[in-house]
Amino acid sequence: MSVFVEVDHIDRVFPLPNGGSYVALKNIELKIKQGEFVTLIGHSGCGKSTLLNIIAGLDQPTHGGVILEGRQVTQPGPDRMVVFQNYSLLPWLSVRDNIALGVDEVMANRPAGERKGIIEHHIDLVGLRHAAHKKPGELSGGMKQRVAIARALALRPKLLLLDEPFGALDALTRGGLQEQLMKICEESQVTCIMVTHDVDEALLLSDRIVMLTNGPESHIGQIIDVEIPRPRHRMEVVNHPSYYSWRNEMIYFLNQQKKDKLRKAGKVQVIARNGLEKVNLEIGFIPLTDCAPLVVAKEKGFFEKHGLEEVTLNREPNWKAIAKGMATGRLDAAQMVAGMPISLTMGAGNNPPLPMVSALALSRNGNAITLSKHLYDQGVRTLADFKAALEATPDKVHTLGMVYPSSMHNLTLRYWLASGGIDPDQDVSLTVIPPPQMVSNLKAGNIDGYCVGEPWNSRAVNEGHGFVVATDLDLFPGHIEKVLGVREEWANKYPQTHLALVKALLEACQYCDDPRNREEIVGLLAQDQYVGSSLEDIRPGFIDAYDRGTSAPPQMLQRYNQFFVDRTNYPERVEILWVLTQMARWGLTPFPKNWLSIIERVRRADLFGEAARQLELPDMGRDRGPIKLFDGTVFDPNDPIGYLNNLEIKRQIRIEEIDIDAVAMPVA
Amino acid sequence: MTTQLDSRPQRKASQNLPLDLFKKYSQKVIRPLIALFILLVIWQILCMSPTSNLPSPIKTVQDTWILIANPLFDNGGTDKGLGLQIAASLGRVAIGFSLSAIVGIALGILVGSNQFMYDALDPIFQVLRTIPPLAWLPISLAALKQSNPSAIFVIFITAIWPIIINTTVGVQQIPQDYKNVARVLRLSRQKYFFKVLFPSAVPYIFTGLRIGIGLSWLAIIAAEMLVGGVGIGFFIWDAYNSSRLSEIILALVYVGIVGLLLDRMVAFIASKVVSEDKK
Repeated sequence: MSVFVEVDHIDRVFPLPNGGSYVALKNIELKIKQGEFVTLIGHSGCGKSTLLNIIAGLDQPTHGGVILEGRQVTQPGPDRMVVFQNYSLLPWLSVRDNIALGVDEVMANRPAGERKGIIEHHIDLVGLRHAAHKKPGELSGGMKQRVAIARALALRPKLLLLDEPFGALDALTRGGLQEQLMKICEESQVTCIMVTHDVDEALLLSDRIVMLTNGPESHIGQIIDVEIPRPRHRMEVVNHPSYYSWRNEMIYFLNQQKKDKLRKAGKVQVIARNGLEKVNLEIGFIPLTDCAPLVVAKEKGFFEKHGLEEVTLNREPNWKAIAKGMATGRLDAAQMVAGMPISLTMGAGNNPPLPMVSALALSRNGNAITLSKHLYDQGVRTLADFKAALEATPDKVHTLGMVYPSSMHNLTLRYWLASGGIDPDQDVSLTVIPPPQMVSNLKAGNIDGYCVGEPWNSRAVNEGHGFVVATDLDLFPGHIEKVLGVREEWANKYPQTHLALVKALLEACQYCDDPRNREEIVGLLAQDQYVGSSLEDIRPGFIDAYDRGTSAPPQMLQRYNQFFVDRTNYPERVEILWVLTQMARWGLTPFPKNWLSIIERVRRADLFGEAARQLELPDMGRDRGPIKLFDGTVFDPNDPIGYLNNLEIKRQIRIEEIDIDAVAMPVA
Repeated sequence: MTTQLDSRPQRKASQNLPLDLFKKYSQKVIRPLIALFILLVIWQILCMSPTSNLPSPIKTVQDTWILIANPLFDNGGTDKGLGLQIAASLGRVAIGFSLSAIVGIALGILVGSNQFMYDALDPIFQVLRTIPPLAWLPISLAALKQSNPSAIFVIFITAIWPIIINTTVGVQQIPQDYKNVARVLRLSRQKYFFKVLFPSAVPYIFTGLRIGIGLSWLAIIAAEMLVGGVGIGFFIWDAYNSSRLSEIILALVYVGIVGLLLDRMVAFIASKVVSEDKK
């Protein structure tokens, strides 16, 4: 369908009494199709009502314009009826007269009998026959809102604009009216734009949810497509596999906006205490079993023991959010996938280089590759079977999920595919999906498999949607997985804080690897504010035997989640060099000619050593030997370029000098 | 649970009907009557001595019994009963107040809906409204040459300011929501006026009218004292000149009661016209 309403790069600037100006909306661009239900959501004062008024024509944009069916909107009109927040019924007119006021005016050219029919039809439509003669003062809030909706619909508008239509109603009335509105909208195929605060209401009603950032200069922060089939029912939409991930995404967005506001207001201050430069830290993590060291450090008091008394753990929706939080300075530190500090430092993905420091590895292993049950039923058991299945259906695109370009998930998945002669860019399609949404996407059939950390593999197995074709232990045992990452500028500014953070987490890692503590840790992780998964999904591989979802019996995996033993935490350089070669192999980044200096700069073994010595732990590194992977290929850290040249499946490899300091620091 | 329910204090069913009635009316009727009685007693005590300048209440009633009993006699000229005197005054008020209501509401709507007119006229209104009613009398006598139209003009000019100012505010206070509804529906000017603007401003207009009628009744007494002719104001002045103090007191009571009734009448009309939501 073509574009019905186009909001074309709107700015709205309000002049202030003191001569200045306030930019409420900045560069809003939105195209709405006919029959679509779009919701605008955001915090109070973000300009969503202003935007709605501009679309209605009640307010004029300073720049840009609104185009309805090819014609610019310059003034309000009955083709764009508004249902106002406070109903705006005329209190001196009865229900019938309120509806008639518009009908008689707008449809003046129709015979009186037809107009009367339309009025009575809409009174019935909202079920107010018994109250048609009453004045608004005698009606309840829900009834008033129904009159307002009837008044709007009676004019057969092309576009229905609703400004927090159910905001003032109790939950029960609201639910009933929402269903009624949905039904009416579907029957009359009317295009709707609604403003709301309520995330559940937005998910229930909308085809698309447009989230606006806080003002000033409010703009579209994120758009969610709500692909729940219609007709929808209030009680059933929550069962949609993606419902909670969408909901979480929205709540996360709104929370971030709130924190942003606080920071802008200067309320977030650096609190120095206990000989540390900053004890109030915002640390980002992703709901995964291997976020355990952060959870343990917080819950078991390791942060406090080292003076970090006000640590907040922020559950982030995806790794990109962590990268962004780092770039904007929202996060002080974060759990990161192994390649992230170095890819951020090099400015991968056309971002400006953001020098990062990693002085601690948090975990090793813990990932697996899951393929869908559907493939299992086709007889796929191994990589060779998967290749055969791909060749058997050349016209079907098989999509596999991974979590972040520079994560070990992406790199080992690609390595695994390539080792079996499958080109990860041409024979299959790889897509980035946040870990908690993998299972629902697999269930919905959007993807055929994925590589992700636990508990999201065990969950697919337990729910019967997939089976584990390979674990880390089969592919690259003992590889570095999650690391602690901070900005280099931050580490230089708060050196004692950074050291305390490394020490606290190092002790937490030690705690995590004591088998006696694992039961307790599973209980901590299962809490909603952390992983929020069921105990049954977290236990396999962590405590219990690991079930691959195949006919094979569950098997105990040694060191499937490794947090401390065997020098886990040393910021190893050889593996990061391997990561660099793999990123270059798949064209994610050029291979840096100055790789040695970049790795030295990011992997701060000196800081780790200092922390380990203060804790009286050994600070020895791992042996600087070659890495031998499952396919027998040996990676020689002394000749990365030779290794790259010998690979068979790869992209065009660029080898460049990368100057990290060329771009000014983006952090304020 | 049951014991708790039982132990709750129960409202006692009323047994004593006269006592209940007494309770019901005591606040609104009996208390003011008691106060009135006490005031009359004090007045009686203060004015009991034969040398007193003012008559006591009992003497007042004795002196004016003829007037009380016959409110409608007409001996020609200005020698008329109090009912007719008041009717004459009310007639003037009716004409003056009606004129001021029509002109005041019209002007108020004009000024309220037009920012230019508001900016231009509001300061002038603010100055004019502070002028005491009687100060207008000489100039109106000079202009109109006749006493009766001058008195009516004083009524008009006294009552008009609160009506204009309140109507203006009423029009300016129309909620933006109602204006938005009108804009979205693209209501014609005529329909906007009758369906939105006027009903929305009505409560404010009635506030203005209520203040206006009170002021016009205040003004008419003073004006009639000066211009003469039939009317309760001149009756008072005439009685003073003839030293009939009891008649003055009786007239004052009548003036007070009529003023109250006028105010209540406008309030009653307002309560019938203004819709539930807007009160």
